[in-house]
Formats: sequence, structure tokens, C-alpha cells
Amino acid sequence: MALATKYEREFKLISDAYERSGGDASKFLNKDIVSVIVSGDKLIGRNTVEGVDLRFRQIEDGVEMWIEIRDNVKLKQPIHLCTGFMKEKGRQMILIHNRCGRNSEVRFLSHCVFPHGLEFLHKMVADTEVGENSKLSYEDVHFHSDAGGVSVEAIYNTVLHKGAEFGNYFNLTQGRVGKLRVKMVVDLQEDSSAQIESKVYERADDDVHITEELNLNGERASGLARTVVFATDKSKAMIINRAYGNAPYTRAHIECKEIIKGDGVNVGTVPVLFVRDEKAELTHEASIGRVNLRQLETLMAKGLNEDEATEMIIQGLLR
Amino acid sequence: MLELRSVSLQRDDNEIIKNLSAVFRDGHVYAVLGNNGVGKSTLAYIIMGLESYRNYSGSVVFNGQAIDDFTVSERAKLGITLGWQEPCRFDGITVKEYLTLGGKRELSSERIAEVLDIVGLPKDYLFRAVDSTLSGGERKRIELASVILLDPKVVVLDEPDSGIDLMSTSMINRVFDALSDNGTTLIVITHREEIASMAEEAYLMCGGNMIKNGDPEEIIAYYRTACDDCRHVNEPLKKVN
Repeated sequence: MALATKYEREFKLISDAYERSGGDASKFLNKDIVSVIVSGDKLIGRNTVEGVDLRFRQIEDGVEMWIEIRDNVKLKQPIHLCTGFMKEKGRQMILIHNRCGRNSEVRFLSHCVFPHGLEFLHKMVADTEVGENSKLSYEDVHFHSDAGGVSVEAIYNTVLHKGAEFGNYFNLTQGRVGKLRVKMVVDLQEDSSAQIESKVYERADDDVHITEELNLNGERASGLARTVVFATDKSKAMIINRAYGNAPYTRAHIECKEIIKGDGVNVGTVPVLFVRDEKAELTHEASIGRVNLRQLETLMAKGLNEDEATEMIIQGLLR
Repeated sequence: MLELRSVSLQRDDNEIIKNLSAVFRDGHVYAVLGNNGVGKSTLAYIIMGLESYRNYSGSVVFNGQAIDDFTVSERAKLGITLGWQEPCRFDGITVKEYLTLGGKRELSSERIAEVLDIVGLPKDYLFRAVDSTLSGGERKRIELASVILLDPKVVVLDEPDSGIDLMSTSMINRVFDALSDNGTTLIVITHREEIASMAEEAYLMCGGNMIKNGDPEEIIAYYRTACDDCRHVNEPLKKVN
């Protein structure tokens, strides 16, 4: 890990927040693991291994990065990305260009930690291209302050080439959400497959808008888009899951589960399916409602009270 | 002691439980035998106090106290629990979390392993999720294990063998023994004679009421002759001691 001495204190702050969000900060200091640490608008640490090329440039309020995984590279350890903002107010822009060559396998583990945000905007755009017969997964875990003053706009645009496999997982279940906009769009070519998933736990007046979209453009492409939101208090959520079956033998399932608790919640979901080829097959499943009464009573019959049972069910669903 | 005193439950125009009375003494094993649709599971839900079954008339009395206003959790805290006929799936919750209620119950690994062994599951099931990756039979075994680990005073087991292959009757026997050895009162809801025969006393249920009680072998013999081709000729029990 190349870490400038002047950033040691910042690294410590980020590492502590990263660990609180469930990450293992020791990975950043391991020279066998690809890692990138951004604090505010500065790149404060990076490490790479053979087969993975990193490039960076500073942009207004942030960092733009290029991560290229060459052909036939199979990384045993995930690439660790950590983006932090330790101040209360400000703005951060992160632009990521991931390119994965052919026959490669890589997993990204990204943690975004904003533990003190009161008036803070984080914008992130990740453009990802996955080469033929490669496997790439991108897990993005957010950890926000309890003040509710964090706004996040996260856009993931992904192109999958023939036979590629892709997973994109967004998770914000710790701390307050604040205002969240997530958009995941995947274009799938022949024989490729994708699973995209967002899980969010809303409290107080949190406000969430999530769009997940699968464009099944190549024959036999398949996908699953899934969203789970637990909305409490006076929170708002609008979830749009879309799938387009544009080629023969494409298959996709979109699923949205919104669980609500509290009289003040305002949630909605719109499933959108378009078929442009008679051999395509798309399905959807959507539900909005209280925690499943049967599950609740199962746990209550074992001695948990209603709140404890609800929490246990929700934590399971949001994993 | 758990008593049901003149309990009735009506749904729309249909009276599902009709002025039913029964007594379950501490530490005894009871079978409630009856055909499908006679109200056996409804009876289990009334005892447990499930939300949709709380509008019954009459009274459920536990150790001399009427518990009709008690919620499911409150009844569970008294030591009453239910082993479900078809246990739920729980996405993201492991068997270990399910058995320990998310860590709220402190149970030794040895105790958990011992109980899993009773229900015929190896220890490595602890790390599997209680979701659709488990078969109905596996979830049923886990449900029975969770009931044993609760050390309840009273448990209603709703069709404990459903979803479990017929060869596992010996496992059901081990479950009954584990609960009985702990002094638990067992109320076993069943339509199978083999399961009813494991009880010390049996009730025969028909048309939302108890129509007979006594020695399981006598009740089973009656059930075999009068209920296989049921014409509802039976009269409800006038009084249960």
C-alpha cells in the first residue's frame, strides 16, 4: 500500500469508520490485495497486484479512477475500495471506470463511509465492462451518520459481453439513509447473466429512489433484479424495476419487496416488463406490506416481542 | 394445568370451534385426534393466541389464570409454545440464529448439537439458512428442535410428523421423550393413529368439538370405526374432568 505520510491520520479515521461498517481495514495494508482509499477529493492510498492496472486523476471535489483487469486474471482476494468523507459538510464526486478483460474473475468490495455527514452529497458513477466469459461482482456497502444529512446519488452502468457473469449488490442498512438515489443499468449480450440487488433500511424521514434495469439484448441472456426496502417512521421509497427482453430465449425476473412499519411511510413500486421477442420470458413479483404475520407470530411464539421479532426478520432479509 | 372452558370461534357464518372444553394436566402427553378440517389447528392457534384467532368466546386458563387477553409473546413468556405444522421460511436467518432467537437465548453448543441429534440433523445444519434451500421436512425437524430448546411448560405440536417420512416415527418418539423428560405438557394435534398411540391420553375431535376422551387405544379404536366414514353422528362431550 502506497500511503503518503501526511495522510496517516486520515487513513486511521477512514479505517476506523470502515471497520465500523463491517470492513476489514487490515486488507488495505496487505500488498497482495488490490486496494484503493479515497478521502474527500484525495487519493490517500492504493495498492495493486500483477494483472490489475490502476490510474487516477483528481477532479473537482473528487477522484476519477480507471481499474483494468487484464485477460485471464483470476483474483483470489477481492479488490477493496474505500471512499470516505470525514467532514460534516461538503460534496464528493467519484467516477469509476472498471474494465475486465476476457476469461477473468474478480470481486469488488466497496465501502462508502460518511460517519459525520450533516450536509453532504456523494455522487458516484461506475461504468463497468465485463469481457467474454468473465465473472465480476461489485458489492457496495454504505455506512452513513445517524443525522440523516447524507445524500447519495449512485449510478452503475454495466455492459456484459458474451458469456459474462455479473453481480451488483448495494447495501445501506446501517445508520440513517438520508436521501438516496440509486440507478443500476445492465446491458447483457449473448449468454451473459446478471444479478442486481439493492437492500435498504429506512428510518425517520429518509427518502429513497431506486431504479434497476436489465436490457437483455443477446440470445439466452438472463437476469434477476431484486430490491428489498424496510421503510419505517415517515420514510419514503419509490422502486422501479425494469426488464427488457429484446432477444430470443432471454429470461429475467424482477422482484421488489417493501416492508413497512409505521403510519407515516410513503412507499411505492413500479415493475416494468417489455418483451420485444416472442421467445423471451419475463416475470415479476412485488409486495408492499407489514412484516409477514406468520413469520412474526412464529418468533413471538418462541418468546420474542413484536419489535424483536420484526428486527430479526428484517435483518435476515437485508443481509 | 391448561384448561379450555367452553371455547367457541366463529368465522363468517361458520362456527369452527363449538363450545369446546378440555383439560391438559401438567407433564402429561395428550393427543388430539381427528380428521382433516375438524378444527384441530384452529384449536392450536387459539391456545397460542394468534392475532386472527383471538376473537373466541369462552376462556383459556393457564395455572388458574385466564389468559384470553394475553398476546402470543405474553403466552410464550408464560411457557406456552407452538410447533407449527408447516414452519415458515426465513430468508437470511441461519438455523443457529433461529434456534437461539438471534442470540437472545444462550445455549451451549453441546446442548444444540444434542437436540439436533434428537431430530436427526447433523451439526453443520447450524450454518444453513432457514429458507427455501431447506426441504419442508428439514424445516420441520428444525422447528421441533427449536421447541425442545425452549424448555416450554406447554407445547402444542401441530401434526409433528407432517412433511417427515414415515420411517421417522422413532424420531417423533425421541422428541416426545425429550420434552416429557423435561416435564413439558404435550398437546399433539394429529390425524395419524401411530402418533396418537404415543400419548398417555387422547381427545377425539369432530365438527369443532371434543366428542370423546380417554385411553389412546380406545379412542383410536373408536376413531377407526366411527370416523373413517364420518357421518357426524357423535355427540360432544358433556363434561371434561
